Amino acid sequence: MSDKELTQRSAWETVLASLKKRSLWMLHYCTGCGAVELPPTMTSRFDMERFGIMPMVTPRQADILLITGYLSVKTLKRVILIYEQMQAPKYVVGFGSCTINGGMYWNSYATMKSLDRYLPVELYLAGCMPRPEAIISGFNSLIDRIDRGEANSWKDYYENYEFYRKNQEHTFGDIETHRSIADDAQYYGFVEVTK
Amino acid sequence: MSGTYTVPTGRPEAARGEKRSASAIVAAIAELGGESGFAVKAPRRVEGRVEAAALHGFAAALRMRVGFEHLSAISCVDWLADGEFELVYHFWSYRDNCLVSAHVRIPRDTATMATLTDLWQPASFFERDIHEMFGVEFLGNEDLEKYILTDWKGPPPMRKDFVSRDFAHDHFTYKNYEPSWDEMIDGGYYSGGQNGGQA
Repeated sequence: MSDKELTQRSAWETVLASLKKRSLWMLHYCTGCGAVELPPTMTSRFDMERFGIMPMVTPRQADILLITGYLSVKTLKRVILIYEQMQAPKYVVGFGSCTINGGMYWNSYATMKSLDRYLPVELYLAGCMPRPEAIISGFNSLIDRIDRGEANSWKDYYENYEFYRKNQEHTFGDIETHRSIADDAQYYGFVEVTK
Repeated sequence: MSGTYTVPTGRPEAARGEKRSASAIVAAIAELGGESGFAVKAPRRVEGRVEAAALHGFAAALRMRVGFEHLSAISCVDWLADGEFELVYHFWSYRDNCLVSAHVRIPRDTATMATLTDLWQPASFFERDIHEMFGVEFLGNEDLEKYILTDWKGPPPMRKDFVSRDFAHDHFTYKNYEPSWDEMIDGGYYSGGQNGGQA
């Protein structure tokens, strides 16, 4: 890292990013067939943990939300509830062509087509389906983006919540969520507190 | 669940005894009177048509007097050209290891059918599913809530005149890029054409 970049970001942020990038806990939402690519990725053959990426069982302790495949409208609702429980910084990774544009379910009435209309997607892993090498490669690029301070898609959910909310309501009608996004946005400093 | 169904309990007498052949079951069904259209389809399968109004009585008789105590599934077929739905009731006998399929045709525009939940409470599960996917109304079933498509507002999606592609294009937004893969495939891009298959 050059001195010029150091002046643009504070030293503390640089340290923080280098710590963040090597301890990513992943919540994998295994809806589709892509879930079968995860066991080899996690276990000894490809060994995701050498990059500091570990499966995590609860949304509140996870950094990455990995959507492995298609989401039906019903499961998408659950994913939104899960995403809102996660603590920032949080990264949604869309896995496979289903999350990008519907994939092989492009003409299905029951599956959503573009995940990034409902949640801010940090990274897409293209393919039907991506092999463990592609997952590792994608996570490496995520690590690089975190290191450079560019992985900021999660901020978009608080800054442009109207956009996501509009699309969610278009699909679900009036969706009941358990978190107050306005409070969260204030907590993360996107809204100035007026006294 | 409303819990108001009175479902017969205990095994009927006819469910015990020697194993019967499929042709013996056809004869036993004919003895019930009314239904004579049943025939052996395979060594362990019997099939036949039942009138819609007679189905409930037939199912009760099949259970109590012939011994088919298990309703294994209800399925639905949409015959669009005939203007009819075909409901297929699958009954299973543990005594005979034999399946009886009763086919019922009902008109498509006034699709109503008597429920079987008073004979088999789990029939509610199949009837909910068929109600949701085909729009068949099951009279007497008080539990026809949405089952899988909880946020669904469109027409029943398994009907043949429901065009999934049009519905998806009306209700979802696709990413705005237009891959020309079909042109590339037609032009021989991937099949040893201009690029020698080295796509």
